Amino acid sequence: MRAVIFSWEYPPRIVGRLAEYVSTLAKQLAQNKVETYVVTYHDFMTGEIKEPSGVTTFRVTNPVRTHIGVLTWVLTLNEEVERATANIYYKTNQHIDLIDVCDWHFIPAAVTLKNALNIPFIYSVESIEDQRSPNPNSSFNMAIKSIEWLGFFEARGVNAKSESIRTEIIKIYKVPPEKIKMIDPNNPSWVKEKIEHYKAIVGGHGIDES
Amino acid sequence: MSHDLSVMMLSWEFPPRIIGGISPHVFFLSKSLAKNGVKVYVITCDFPGAPAHEVIDGVEVYRVDSYKNPSPDFATWVYLMNMNMQKEAAAIASNLGGQVDVFHAHDWLVATAGIGLKHIFRKPLLVTMHSTEMGRRDGTHTANEKMIHETEAWLTYEAWKVVCCSDYMVQHVKWVFGLPSDKLVMVPNGVNSDIYENIEKKEDLKSFRSRFALPEEKIVLYVGRLVYEKGIHILINAIPKVLQKVNAKFIIVGSGYMKEQLLNIVRSMGLEHKVLFEGFVDEKMLINLQKCADVSVVPSLFEPFGIVALEAMAAKSPVVVSDTGGLSEIVDHETTGVKVYPNNPESLAWGITRVLLDDHFSMLIKQNAYRKIKEKYNWEKIGAQTKLVYEEVLGQYSSSFWA
Repeated sequence: MRAVIFSWEYPPRIVGRLAEYVSTLAKQLAQNKVETYVVTYHDFMTGEIKEPSGVTTFRVTNPVRTHIGVLTWVLTLNEEVERATANIYYKTNQHIDLIDVCDWHFIPAAVTLKNALNIPFIYSVESIEDQRSPNPNSSFNMAIKSIEWLGFFEARGVNAKSESIRTEIIKIYKVPPEKIKMIDPNNPSWVKEKIEHYKAIVGGHGIDES
Repeated sequence: MSHDLSVMMLSWEFPPRIIGGISPHVFFLSKSLAKNGVKVYVITCDFPGAPAHEVIDGVEVYRVDSYKNPSPDFATWVYLMNMNMQKEAAAIASNLGGQVDVFHAHDWLVATAGIGLKHIFRKPLLVTMHSTEMGRRDGTHTANEKMIHETEAWLTYEAWKVVCCSDYMVQHVKWVFGLPSDKLVMVPNGVNSDIYENIEKKEDLKSFRSRFALPEEKIVLYVGRLVYEKGIHILINAIPKVLQKVNAKFIIVGSGYMKEQLLNIVRSMGLEHKVLFEGFVDEKMLINLQKCADVSVVPSLFEPFGIVALEAMAAKSPVVVSDTGGLSEIVDHETTGVKVYPNNPESLAWGITRVLLDDHFSMLIKQNAYRKIKEKYNWEKIGAQTKLVYEEVLGQYSSSFWA
């Protein structure tokens, strides 16, 4: 199986808890013989690196340096995420089994790649805008929520990290409960559960469990 | 009809959605390309009452729901609109089995959609730069302006070829973005002169004219946005000087942020009875006004091309333009119109009176102008020229590792 993880943070760039989560996930996927790529952001340390863990990272930066807010920054950065993923796709005989999008930032890229190249994606939710923002109904926050909604709608499956987030997603975004799988990263077997979810999404092929 | 090649055009406006000059440009260019044997797909923003998909003279038009995401400001809306446009375009191109040879973007307003599609499908991207933020704002002063400028720079960097509609724009874009000469190509804008042939009879035009001016008054027409770069304030300042020599009525068509300011100036001059602000008008009324105008004035300070001057020439209205940008190329001084110093009310007043006081000269320049637009700014030729650009790009692309 070949999986690409999208995350706006990945060591050494650490903004919140997502970096550690993605780092652990990517390493363990590689250990479980999943060909793993991480497409992420770094201001200057750009390009492709094969890490000793077996994970290949592809860091991109934003060609537009001046921004009026995080939304314009994110939306333009998505094009570089698409470019990096397209490079992986064409380099690997035009085959990526699945994209795992961690949080909302790179949902636009995942949605386009799904529509263009038929690559399914999972939306892994660290948090949602209603929890993060004190004023989730401003036009700025509503724009982010509309991107989250797009992710829930277009994703083949959703990962929530707790039962409370899962409940909120169902309540706010009206996502069918069966589409959301709760995988608690505090559970020692969480990566195994992730792999099971990946298998369910791509039809159970590709992972060598020997 | 079999097609030699196919192009997917991205434009934020396409009729009936008309915001500026890109809409008619893409409309006529796409139809002309289709006539020249190119399969054209236009992906554009939706408009109330317009179908999500239609075929116009062989051109497949797809309109994308572009207002579904709330946006805190215009620029953020643009990038969100690009997200939706790119998603739809990706699905359409995928359903075509990748049978799109070239992506063609029009201005920064569709930059991110075009850039992403280029890399995902590994097909060449062309861009037509209709204008630049640097030119529109006379520099980049705010974060918003800098962001748009950098997006334009990125788009021209990613494009295989950058098309400009005038030699002036070629030089401007080359300077603004530091592009190599061989990346730039000039293909002029065009005008559809046919629509001016089917206007009302002379008697009806006379009655139409009487709604705006007395028989003894000449009509001076301005068509354009009421914004600084269009130099409308220069025309307003020239009015008293013109009226010293000619009895005229000034008709201002268009709207913009300067409207209130301009109305106040006209009021303070005591000239409300001589200046009519008509706002936006429908196409039929605009054509009739252009046909009735004794002179059409384009006093721009920055003008990448100057389509308004071409339209006036097609309507057989003599033109007075400021000697800047694309206008300098469209008009040959004292042959197809009159060129005046930009940002200079005295010079503009001189040009207007030069035309209004000499009927023979007025007749001569409008006949010459009409001949010129028929020969040079003809959409059929422009479509053929654009197809040649696509073919050249595809020739180079065929030997690249993406092919």
